[in-house]
Amino acid sequence: MSKKNEIIAEIKNISKNFGVTVALNQVNMQIRRGEICGLIGENGSGKSTVMSILSGMQNATSGEMFYKGKIWKPSNALEAARNGIGIIVQEIGTIPTISVAENIFLGNYDRFRRYGMINRRQMYKAAQLVLEKLNIVGVDASATTDTYSIEQRKLIEIAKVMANNPEILIIDETSTAISETGRQVLYRLMHDMASQNKAVVFISHDLEELMEHCDALNILRDGCLIDHLEKENFVAEDIKEKMIGRKLTGNYYRVDMDGYDSEVVLRADCITTMEDLMCFNLELHKGEILGIGGLSSCGMHTLGKAMFGLTEVIDGQVVLTDGNVVIKNPKSAFQHNMGYISKNRDTESLEINASIGSNIQSTGFEKNKWFGPFISAKKEKKYAQLMVDTLAIKCTGILQPVKALSGGNKQKVVFGKWVGVDADILILDCPTRGVDIGIKSAMYQLIYDMKKKGKSIILISEELPELCGMSDRLIIMKNGKITGEFFRKDGYKNTDLIECMI
Amino acid sequence: MKKIISSSQNDRKVKLKFNDMLDIVKNQRMFSLFFPFAMLLLIIALFSILTKGSFCTAGVMKSIFNQSMIIGTLAIGMTFIFTTGDVDFSAGNVMGLAAAVGALVYQNGQNIVTTICVTIVMGILLMLCNYTLSVVLHIRSAMVAIIGLTLYASITQQIVGAGTLRIDYNLCRNLESGAFRYISFMLFFGLCLLVYYWTPIGRQLRFIGGNVECARQAGINITKARCIGFLLAGLGIGLAGVYQIIRTGSVSSSVGNGMGMDVMLATVLGGMSIFGGAKSNAYSGFTGALTICALNQGLLMVGVPSTVIQGVRGVIFLLLVVLNSERAATLPSRQQF
Repeated sequence: MSKKNEIIAEIKNISKNFGVTVALNQVNMQIRRGEICGLIGENGSGKSTVMSILSGMQNATSGEMFYKGKIWKPSNALEAARNGIGIIVQEIGTIPTISVAENIFLGNYDRFRRYGMINRRQMYKAAQLVLEKLNIVGVDASATTDTYSIEQRKLIEIAKVMANNPEILIIDETSTAISETGRQVLYRLMHDMASQNKAVVFISHDLEELMEHCDALNILRDGCLIDHLEKENFVAEDIKEKMIGRKLTGNYYRVDMDGYDSEVVLRADCITTMEDLMCFNLELHKGEILGIGGLSSCGMHTLGKAMFGLTEVIDGQVVLTDGNVVIKNPKSAFQHNMGYISKNRDTESLEINASIGSNIQSTGFEKNKWFGPFISAKKEKKYAQLMVDTLAIKCTGILQPVKALSGGNKQKVVFGKWVGVDADILILDCPTRGVDIGIKSAMYQLIYDMKKKGKSIILISEELPELCGMSDRLIIMKNGKITGEFFRKDGYKNTDLIECMI
Repeated sequence: MKKIISSSQNDRKVKLKFNDMLDIVKNQRMFSLFFPFAMLLLIIALFSILTKGSFCTAGVMKSIFNQSMIIGTLAIGMTFIFTTGDVDFSAGNVMGLAAAVGALVYQNGQNIVTTICVTIVMGILLMLCNYTLSVVLHIRSAMVAIIGLTLYASITQQIVGAGTLRIDYNLCRNLESGAFRYISFMLFFGLCLLVYYWTPIGRQLRFIGGNVECARQAGINITKARCIGFLLAGLGIGLAGVYQIIRTGSVSSSVGNGMGMDVMLATVLGGMSIFGGAKSNAYSGFTGALTICALNQGLLMVGVPSTVIQGVRGVIFLLLVVLNSERAATLPSRQQF
């Protein structure tokens, strides 16, 4: 029988290059049985890369790995899964058009095969059992996967990985995509695995979450392993410092108590959308940071889209007070100096194959006009360069494709689009999702600077500390309705907010 | 975040694999810009050597240019549609119908100027019809192309009938050898380059091709940009129809058949992805058309039978697709073209 703390897998001197960029540089790591091992680092520090190598999704450029005492060279993810290394990836890993059960047993249909035919009923039953074991409720194994929300699909993915009975479970930034209830499922699963003397590798940006659940922590920076800490040595400030390689100075959130104008700039008059919202009213004031929080399914994301004209408003209207303009589509919102940052950065906010420059310029055609309909290339170049400089985007130049950037820098490019056109009203939907601490604090500063300039901002977020730290006024939503309104000047407790959410 | 090898001294030198090196070369921005031209020059150089210089004469070059004009004009116009990621291969038959209508007008006693105008207007009108179907009614562009292909071909056959529609031979020869073709082509090419590179339209179309949702959220007027794209494509098609009429002096019922595919081939040969996006270029189609015609001419002059030429073209196409394909950094998937 396997002993606790026995080394189950070892990574020795692993390096990985993508062309000339070095993603991993001589990384050593040990994964022990009965232990939840955390992996933390900034965006682009190589966390996902090292785990994808261990789980066979890609090959290392050099170095070697050992698994259960033998040399480990998986040729693909399936081989790794069959040998007991399961990974829940950051991206969506389920196929939307097939049933939940088919997703769960993807690649393992043979066990349900009878006389060449697949016994679906048996498969559904087995899948339902896997789901039940994990306490995932409200998912029917025979239903088509795309009838479920992204969050539920993530849980289905967890079930898919667990159906293979892995000995090492790797969780790659999954917790950011799911809400509190889903997280509880995940945490329980992790601790169950550890108590069965199996190993868990947990990758997350959320330091509190890591410190609470992990037994050991590996810190990566720029593709190098910086430190390995045991639970008794966890100090938040220390870990943060090691992650970004310098001390964090200044305040993370804003500290002032400045108010805002009484003038209303944007108003939702009893708006109803196809989903989520029913006769919803909202007012945004000049120079205000309006925080909107709640559980991810509370309708706040739909609200953000509706305010920018991205979701059809079937009744009521979104009105700009200045000139009584009704916002019907994103085109009219854009023309009236509004901006929107989606929570889905890579799929909605950016054209990742295009260059940094052309992404930033995509909102500034009017500003860079030469005469008539013609664009001045010179002006355009200057415009993009200015944004890269002011936002300190780490890149080789404005011609670099966006896809080569790390998550945080990508988000800076998205901000650049709207800072560049000097948008008066900005709707930010989870602007700091999947962004590391260093860049997060830069963004908070940016949002605050915009407020100072008299811009109005709607900040939709799933993170309460961020909402409390930044908003002048905070609205908590539940089931498409406002359940609480809090003012910065009055002060409030976190528990009050949570009470309104659930 | 990630380091560059050359900039960090203490990194161990890692031997690059062939695939990695290929990726580095392919990821150079200049590579995709110059590759098509290099390809064209290479073909010219190769055949000049093989034919001991007789390929590299003004006469042959002029003939290549003339041959590539119809496909080139079509391809330059269609670039505006390909850029947005719409796969429309009906261009040849749209041109055929436009040319047939033009020829019909001539047969009914009109003069050549009216014929030219009618042909061009027909090209634009037919593309507006395609626009309505694919953008306004949201039918997939490939589906629209299939419908267009069969519908337009059948209408052309009805108009032309069993024989051919003839236009006065001398008139056509005069037009073909005169300045009209060159001037109109240059004007059209210039207009396209202007719209593509110096107005927001080209940039917007690339954005739409790369990520429609992103374009929508950036406040881009998608229907307007695409409408202008279809109009320019229609103009190109109409113009190509005119060149077609004056080149042969007649319009047969099979005019333009298969040309839509040649246009796509030329576009890919010119270094552009058929699925559009950031790497699209307005001149790709024309360089590609020149490359095809140079290749055809060269192979013919070396004495390769025309049946084999098709095969050679196929192999070259395959090679280009492999070179142009993008490999995702982490997962072993392959996005073709």
